[in-house]
Amino acid sequence: MAVKIFFPTCCSAAESGLLIGRWISEHRSAVVLATLHFPFIPGQVKQYLARLQQSTGLSLSVLGTWSHQKAEKDEKMQSFLDDLSSIFSHRPWLRISREGSSKFWGCSIDRCDNEDQKEVVLVYYDEKKLMLSELHSVTENSEIASVFATVAKSRPLFATHKYDEGPIKLTHWQSEGVEASIIVELVKQASVPVCAVLSFLVSLLTSVCNLRVLSGKPLSFLWNKLSTSEQLGKRLEDIRLVSSAERAKDHIQFMRKSNTVVSILLDMALGILLMSWLYRENRISQLADTLMPVADRVALELQGLLQWLMGAPAGLKMNRALDEVLGRFFLYHIHLWISYIRLMSPFIEVILWYIGLSACLGLSVALSILSDIIALLTFHIYCFYVYGARLYCFKMHGLSSLWRLFRGKKWNVLRQRVDSCSYDLDQLFLGTLLFTILLFLLPTTALYYLVFTLLRLLVVLVQGVIHLIVDLLNTLPLYAMVLRLCRSYRLAAGVKFRMLEQQTGKPLRLLMQINPLPFSGVLKSYMLPSNQCCPKDSWGSLCRKLFIGELIYPWKQKGNKQD
Amino acid sequence: MSPVLQSPVLQSPGADHYSSLSWGAGNPPSGSVGSPPIWKKVLYEHQPFPDNYVDDRFLEELRKNIYVRRYHYWAVVFEAGVVIQQLCSVCVFSVIWWYMDQDLLSPQKLCGVGLALTLLGYLLFDAVDQGEGRRDSGRTHWADLKSALVFVAFTYGFSPVLKTLTESISTDTIYAMSVLMLLGHLVFFDYGANAAVVSSTLSINMAIFASVCLASRLPRSLHAFAMVTFAIQIFALWPSLQRKLRANTPWTYISVTFFFAIFAMAGLLSISSVGALLFFLLLLSVAFLCPYCLIRLQLFKDNIHGPWDEAEIKEDLSRFLD
Repeated sequence: MAVKIFFPTCCSAAESGLLIGRWISEHRSAVVLATLHFPFIPGQVKQYLARLQQSTGLSLSVLGTWSHQKAEKDEKMQSFLDDLSSIFSHRPWLRISREGSSKFWGCSIDRCDNEDQKEVVLVYYDEKKLMLSELHSVTENSEIASVFATVAKSRPLFATHKYDEGPIKLTHWQSEGVEASIIVELVKQASVPVCAVLSFLVSLLTSVCNLRVLSGKPLSFLWNKLSTSEQLGKRLEDIRLVSSAERAKDHIQFMRKSNTVVSILLDMALGILLMSWLYRENRISQLADTLMPVADRVALELQGLLQWLMGAPAGLKMNRALDEVLGRFFLYHIHLWISYIRLMSPFIEVILWYIGLSACLGLSVALSILSDIIALLTFHIYCFYVYGARLYCFKMHGLSSLWRLFRGKKWNVLRQRVDSCSYDLDQLFLGTLLFTILLFLLPTTALYYLVFTLLRLLVVLVQGVIHLIVDLLNTLPLYAMVLRLCRSYRLAAGVKFRMLEQQTGKPLRLLMQINPLPFSGVLKSYMLPSNQCCPKDSWGSLCRKLFIGELIYPWKQKGNKQD
Repeated sequence: MSPVLQSPVLQSPGADHYSSLSWGAGNPPSGSVGSPPIWKKVLYEHQPFPDNYVDDRFLEELRKNIYVRRYHYWAVVFEAGVVIQQLCSVCVFSVIWWYMDQDLLSPQKLCGVGLALTLLGYLLFDAVDQGEGRRDSGRTHWADLKSALVFVAFTYGFSPVLKTLTESISTDTIYAMSVLMLLGHLVFFDYGANAAVVSSTLSINMAIFASVCLASRLPRSLHAFAMVTFAIQIFALWPSLQRKLRANTPWTYISVTFFFAIFAMAGLLSISSVGALLFFLLLLSVAFLCPYCLIRLQLFKDNIHGPWDEAEIKEDLSRFLD
């Protein structure tokens, strides 16, 4: 196995000196982190390395010598460097030499444990990128992971630069001066008081929300049904997470925090954009003027649909009497609905104006309110659906049990199976009479159920799209995606090696480059947790529910409890 | 499978245990050297015979036709009376419905006659066996009255619903459904045979279903009420009276059957003479031709029974075919 030397590209032009880095013995690879220049006192170098070892937890040491001969060969320098190997007793001892600006370097290894394995592979890497990047989906003890960890952990080494007045002169990626941004520093300073104020406000709001009056029976039921309150709760939770004083423990938590911050900021920016659009040119009153006719129109269309159903729709064999009864019942309901809307219409503009203000809390909140408004405006459709489904469900259950009676069977509850049973004559007669009646009335009920279920599904679809957008706003890892887009090396999925020009007799030269994480990987690993309870039943069970007339969508939590 | 297990003569697979005890352990057959070895029909013992050896005693346990019954012609004809009665019931029901549909028979008259006949039948029901069956079943007159009240009340209450029930459905569909249901009634009726297809519940239910379908075609709700009541009388009450008559007074039963058949045919004759002729031929063949055929065909019966398991193919073997 050849010895791999990971060499930072920024050090290739450095003056001659010592190589400082880490020897990873289980992979037989040396990670060079910096070069140390003359003049130095060996004792001070050892002290400095010991201090670094304490602060980083890595066993950093002097790995060997680096000689860069700018002009003609300097014999004295060469012998001096050879002497250094007796002072620093690292095994193995590397010697890397570069002549002028030649691309091909000479490498030799002394004091190697295994004399026949002196082959060397030089791997150049970008120290800055390696330090900042986070390696994903790699097994714990792989070589690449330990190289990444070594570079990332030796941050204190890179803090010294050449303007320092210390006894040690190093060359590394930051040796020209530490990179920093004034804006970032200012934001860091400012975030502390802002976070304190935010967390105080959040705790205040939480204590208000936990009051006995608000969490009582009727109100809490209402809160659970409104998607707006759900969204507000989610945002409150987000702000509490962001404004908490403790530092993010690891990379995942840090990314989660920053993703949340970006998502909240974008949400609010979009909301304010929406608000500025809404409150200009009297758009609120225009909206109110169109909303009422639309609701009216929906009611009228429903009336037309019911009239059609009360005739002979599509030539279907309906029972005339039952058809008329059902049709009148639903028509009366629509009549009630229309009068309710008429009653509401003078106040609708004011209500819309106040609701529009909520857009400054974020686009997602505004969308949730929109979804709730749709739910309220199509309440009659929901009612129709429930009536139709209940009637249909009752008929289906009746028919299924009477069908068993018709065949002389019964459902054995204790054994969970169908047993044969001998019925009395009057039971048989009544059962069959009811069976016949239910069977011939089924098409009428089923048609009403079908039409109102389709309407309900349409409304649920619209609400589902809105919830999907809100969910996207809540969970999309925007910060991670921007990072991937602008600084693709920050999120690494692995590395690739590019072979550089070769010369016989000189070591193999490779350039290590970072493979960025694909966008699907970014989404998978940084998706924020969603509070939406997405439908748990599959398509098959949904169809089964629709067929036997069980209520779908909003009552499913209740069903889960019963399970 | 079952005949093998029931027969005490034959050796079933379960009886191997006994033979091994008495033969194998008790006295070994190869005890005396001079006598020739006795062949045994077992595989678990080593025997001095070649593999393809067939002993004379190999098929001695084979039995043929052990469950064949000898029928007497007139007894079979008497049993066929049940089928005739049921055919006649369906015929009478259809004829009455036709009369009602054509408004030739008023519902009041049908109800009156039906009530009178039902009362007569009720008295007969107890008189035939001197109330023995009633004492055995423990059913009181009060319970009968309650059942009757339930029938009448529900039928009367639902008759307006029945009237409008199938308004929008085509008459042909109703006819087809009724014919199918009445045929089903005849197929599933309990004629006294012990078979899986027999289900008296299903049979009565199908008849009631057919009667409700047909009643919904009638002009007024009172008609529907009369029709459904009549259906209960003829399909549910009449067969139970018949059963009692047949068990206790066979000669009365034969004459009742005869007169009922004449009545049904007369009714059919007033509607269609061809139909009446066909129905007459049907009754004739069921009553006399079919018993004759049954007795003739008994002679050709060839069943074998023996100490073996019948081969049963349970798995789907079609995958080996290609």
